[in-house]
Amino acid sequence: MSIKILSVDDSKTIRMIVKRTFAPFDATVLEACNGEEGLATAAAEKPDLIVLDITMPVMDGVTMLTKLKEDAALKGIPVIMLTAESGRENVAFIAKLGVRDYLVKPFKDEQLIEKVIRVIPLQKKAA
Amino acid sequence: MPPVAPADELAKCYGLESVPESVRRLGKLVSQPDASTEDVAKLISSDKGFTARLLRAANPRAASEADYSCTTVEEALQRTGMGIVLLVAMYDPLMAAVQKTFQIMLGAELKIEARPVPFENEHVLCEISFAGKATGTAALRLTTPTALQVAARVLGMSPAELEDPAVVDDVIGELSNMVVGNFKSNLCDANLNCKLSPPAITRTTQFELRSTEGALAQRIGLRAPDLDLFVDLNVNPWSE
Repeated sequence: MSIKILSVDDSKTIRMIVKRTFAPFDATVLEACNGEEGLATAAAEKPDLIVLDITMPVMDGVTMLTKLKEDAALKGIPVIMLTAESGRENVAFIAKLGVRDYLVKPFKDEQLIEKVIRVIPLQKKAA
Repeated sequence: MPPVAPADELAKCYGLESVPESVRRLGKLVSQPDASTEDVAKLISSDKGFTARLLRAANPRAASEADYSCTTVEEALQRTGMGIVLLVAMYDPLMAAVQKTFQIMLGAELKIEARPVPFENEHVLCEISFAGKATGTAALRLTTPTALQVAARVLGMSPAELEDPAVVDDVIGELSNMVVGNFKSNLCDANLNCKLSPPAITRTTQFELRSTEGALAQRIGLRAPDLDLFVDLNVNPWSE
């Protein structure tokens, strides 16, 4: 069964890169452009993993993560942060909220794959 | 909830890069309005890179080191004042962030240009403001063909496939976010906490370096074989 990855980022560029990154895998990439949309998509689609940005309009990634962890039905979904924010204190604060991994932009596709594979069983698409 | 490791340990565990200790210390030192010249000189002298950049800044007309009239850190500080030290301290992480972002996202090896050629025509300007303990703006300027080339390479497409200028703007905005986001994290690690605005992208023919009241401004030109861009920094570390 195809794995569902939810990319929550206000940048279309990042969502396109995430989609391209997982195109060779048996995975469906869902998209949301802010935390509010991200929560709604997570509730409706129950993704296997969320790749989450921090700075976004409407609802930022930290607020979305807080709400996700407060929701009994969603709190088990693993989250990997994908953000340009790497300040030590902010990273520590976000880690306390409960994330599986943290990847700082700029990033290579392979780095994202490596982090995701540690969390969910990604399989290459059959030829 | 399991206990969380201290910030530096977590950063290591997530594979986050550390700001060089000398940059962190210099950032903290020069952000204090009462920092002593002796302390700053001592710290700069302990770092060959900082020393070289400060001497270059203090000898703006020299074509090479052999032409320097100001040859020691102490003389350079007397000539330039602490403002230049701050720009040297801030520009180092910013340039590193620009070069790293362009290298990773599009494989471009940007080098700092000693004598960059100013843009004469309309070009793309992406500005991001930061506000907090340090305030200011950082801006990327690229020619329109460069912006298209950059966007195509980031997205793995040909320039001809990129018909929508909004997609080009989004790529340039995101690259700027990466650069300034990394820079802002360095500022925060140097106790200069601040928040960023979303990127603002415009097309402009105005090329002069703008400086707001009380701020220090600097521009650097960078070049890769098929790319030309400028980075402007306008920063006031004593805004609060």
